[in-house]
Amino acid sequence: MPRNLKITLGILSVAVLIGLISLHGLHQRIEHLSQEQGSEEQQRRDLLKPEISTPTDAMANAKIFWAAGADRVAPVEVQLPLSADPVKRARQVLDALIVDAPSEEQRTLPADATLLGFYILPDGTAIADFSDALASETPSGILSEEIAVESIARTIESNVAGARRLKVLIHGQEVDTLAGHADLTGFFDLNPAVVAAGAPSMSGTPAAAAAPGNAGGKSSR
Amino acid sequence: MHTGPVIVINPAHGGTDEGARAGNGLVEKNVVLIFARMLRSEFERQGFRVVMTRNDDSNPSYEDRAAVANAYRDAIFISLHVSSTGQLGAARTYSYQFSSPIAVVSAATAADAANAAGAGAVSSVPTQSSPSSRLMVWEEAQRPYSESSRKLADALQAALAQKFAGSPGTSARFAVRELRSVAAPAIAVEVSSISASDSNSLLAMGASLAAMIERSVQAMRPQGSLPAAVVGNAGGK
Repeated sequence: MPRNLKITLGILSVAVLIGLISLHGLHQRIEHLSQEQGSEEQQRRDLLKPEISTPTDAMANAKIFWAAGADRVAPVEVQLPLSADPVKRARQVLDALIVDAPSEEQRTLPADATLLGFYILPDGTAIADFSDALASETPSGILSEEIAVESIARTIESNVAGARRLKVLIHGQEVDTLAGHADLTGFFDLNPAVVAAGAPSMSGTPAAAAAPGNAGGKSSR
Repeated sequence: MHTGPVIVINPAHGGTDEGARAGNGLVEKNVVLIFARMLRSEFERQGFRVVMTRNDDSNPSYEDRAAVANAYRDAIFISLHVSSTGQLGAARTYSYQFSSPIAVVSAATAADAANAAGAGAVSSVPTQSSPSSRLMVWEEAQRPYSESSRKLADALQAALAQKFAGSPGTSARFAVRELRSVAAPAIAVEVSSISASDSNSLLAMGASLAAMIERSVQAMRPQGSLPAAVVGNAGGK
């Protein structure tokens, strides 16, 4: 083999080796970057996630309203650490409504939706402020939006005393509709009579026992 | 010659708002426009005057759609939807549900109400006012018509439950945005769903739906459940 060809092959081999090493390094860097991005996303979600652990938390049965079939919601009893503070309690049950759906079929709110804020005004108006995902990822349709609103309203009224009506905000703003149908400019009635016994009222006194037959399924609002 | 109420048909969505979309490319805005044209033909055959809030791919605002109905003294507003979820082949009828006002009732007022009730008063519960010529708040234009809307919705839903398996027996009351500012009996009908594997069955459903809506409107008229101006007018049937 001529000497020149040997040198050329040698140089090419070294170049290929360097290229492979660089490619491997590049691949590792991309993987590292994507992991960093993922952890940043996780950090962002953790930051946005409401702090739902409170000093007064006690394990209790909460009634969370998930979908039961195609056109109704029904309560499922779940053991949760629940706060004595009605506002924090509301955040805990709404967080469970989103995060702890037993199955995809039972899910009523988009998995990406987060509760950004929750307040109860002195007149009993409960204000639930959700992230944009609630509006952008809820399937468009009267029924699907009704199911979403019903699950929120029934879950609040069954676990939080003192809330008499519900106002839903999206990212701190009043919006016209949830996903094109459900009117969010007004309020949704809550029925304080269905609040479970022992649930703390706004004044801190125990609420009345749940009205029989009133807590399950969809109301005739 | 036209007699009876003006039927205002509202095919939901339109334009860039496609509504529900199926995997096969079927979109709600187009399906409800076909349904609306079927319904228009059904009513026109019976001698009704029919107006549509859109008859093309436009997307009027909620207020513009309500304004079409509110331009007439006696109208009936019927909004058509196809859902993205729900049991295939089912249909649901809605009337608007306003929230209850949170009133601060003084002890004296409560006592007066209790005394009046004890003395045989008809009702101490504030109820909706009758439709009248008074100016009303646009955002709550539907409130005086809540009862007539609910009756029409119930009548239609009873028929739908018999025809379409899986449909509930009674209508639903929910805050459907497009109904709120309509100063006339107003209902929304939603058919399930856009995901029907056979678009022909969906269209056949539209034809049955149109006939049932027309019959429900006719059936309500002699009972005085629709605006007074309507009762007694020959609908042509």
